[in-house]
Amino acid sequence: MNHAYGNAPTGIMHPSEVRLPAEDHFARRARRLQQLAERHEPLGEFLGFMARLAHAQQAALERASSSWQPEPAAFDLALEHGVPPLNIQALQGDIDIQGELEALLDALELHAGEAQRPLLAALRTRSEQSLRQLAGQVLAGESGEAPTRGLMPLVGAALQVAWHRLAHRLPQAPARPSAEVRTLCPCCGSPPVASLIETDASCSGVRYLQCSLCATQWYLERSICSVCEQSGKLDYLSLTPNTDEEDDNATVAQAEACGDCGSYLKIFPRALDADVEPLADDLASLALDLLLGEEGRYRRSGFNPLLIAEG
Amino acid sequence: MTLRVTRRQFFKLGAAGMATSSLAMMGFSPEPAVASIRHFKLTGAKITRSNCTYCSVGCGVLLYSRGDAAINNVDDIYHVEGDPDHPVSRGSLCPKGAGLLDYIRSESRLRYPQVREAGSDEWRRITWDEAFERIARHMKDDRDANFVDQNEAGDTVNRWTTTGMLAASASTNETAYCTHKIARSLGMVVFDNQARV
Repeated sequence: MNHAYGNAPTGIMHPSEVRLPAEDHFARRARRLQQLAERHEPLGEFLGFMARLAHAQQAALERASSSWQPEPAAFDLALEHGVPPLNIQALQGDIDIQGELEALLDALELHAGEAQRPLLAALRTRSEQSLRQLAGQVLAGESGEAPTRGLMPLVGAALQVAWHRLAHRLPQAPARPSAEVRTLCPCCGSPPVASLIETDASCSGVRYLQCSLCATQWYLERSICSVCEQSGKLDYLSLTPNTDEEDDNATVAQAEACGDCGSYLKIFPRALDADVEPLADDLASLALDLLLGEEGRYRRSGFNPLLIAEG
Repeated sequence: MTLRVTRRQFFKLGAAGMATSSLAMMGFSPEPAVASIRHFKLTGAKITRSNCTYCSVGCGVLLYSRGDAAINNVDDIYHVEGDPDHPVSRGSLCPKGAGLLDYIRSESRLRYPQVREAGSDEWRRITWDEAFERIARHMKDDRDANFVDQNEAGDTVNRWTTTGMLAASASTNETAYCTHKIARSLGMVVFDNQARV
């Protein structure tokens, strides 16, 4: 039935279990980051740069094509057997990291601030071998060495472009990961950056985890821990201003914190902000991590290659 | 918790690590973000799976509550929504289910046993023990007085038709099994489920 005030559901909801990233995912992320940069003053400069980086990622994705292309049928076997077709361990040696990075740096060059230019220059002079080493660290979720830590997010961004490219070549989305690896990306096996709760009628209230690398989204039941899959001691922690003043910083981000395994993953309900993009909103809600870090009860399980810290 | 072999790692993203984080190494100052947390405190909410109380479909619902679980005090259910993961209802709720929050908060909701004595016009609060005793007494008296062990033809029937029972709607199989055993073993034949009401 159609009404002026909305439509009644016409059937049983069958949400997709795995959603591959859209062609313009980086562009959307860039818009969201820009929006957040204007909203969150303490992180404004950082988020503004990340917006330009995401914009450059979109440009690199569209402009350049990788020198290494997998065979179209290369993924069939993996898809058939429920193995991540774009497994990071298997493919990180094949990726043209230098080419991907160059395309990204070219797109970013004119938009980088004075303080960030040396990073770009430093990356351009690095040998392929040392880039592969950095890429290996990023993909393994390591925090790397302090002197090169500032380079890692840019390498991570190039890797994101590379895996987006691969994800777009998949003939179809993989099946939902099986029980053993339900909380790892079904495309590439990376951990999630955060999760979001949808509002669209086709998947209303459904939670998706979003891959930190290829931005594939996959279904995970609501209200269970994304690490240990327990549900008994979950708490949804969010920031509330100490005073009664309204503050935009204090919305949207919640930490799904599990008392069983002591970890948390951020969760963003689209009902609170329709424009949410998990990776962008994860960066913008750094204050929640800092407060949780200070409180000390939970440790972060979400991985964000654009913000890497020691410990 | 079963240990699973995954690549998931735990990070600490605290104020102490900010100075050597990639954010700082890329030339951005972490200080304003670190300073901003002084204006905030952490507040928690719980989400609990449950079933709608109304009918036998037993739609899944998620109950949002505030309160400190550490002291076992959940003081306020503030939101109810359909459970999108529920295999039967897939997140949808009928208008009755969608209005559950008002039902939960209803001032006239029954929260404890009450009795209105014969001849009185007032409801009086009683304890659960007292309530069980009174119910058991009534049942026993009525069953002793009206139990039918044989019908007119002399066949053994063992039935008790003067007391009935209305069972709850969204019961599990196990609850339904126990309810059935109790009612039928007393000889009770007037027995229905509120789901059909």
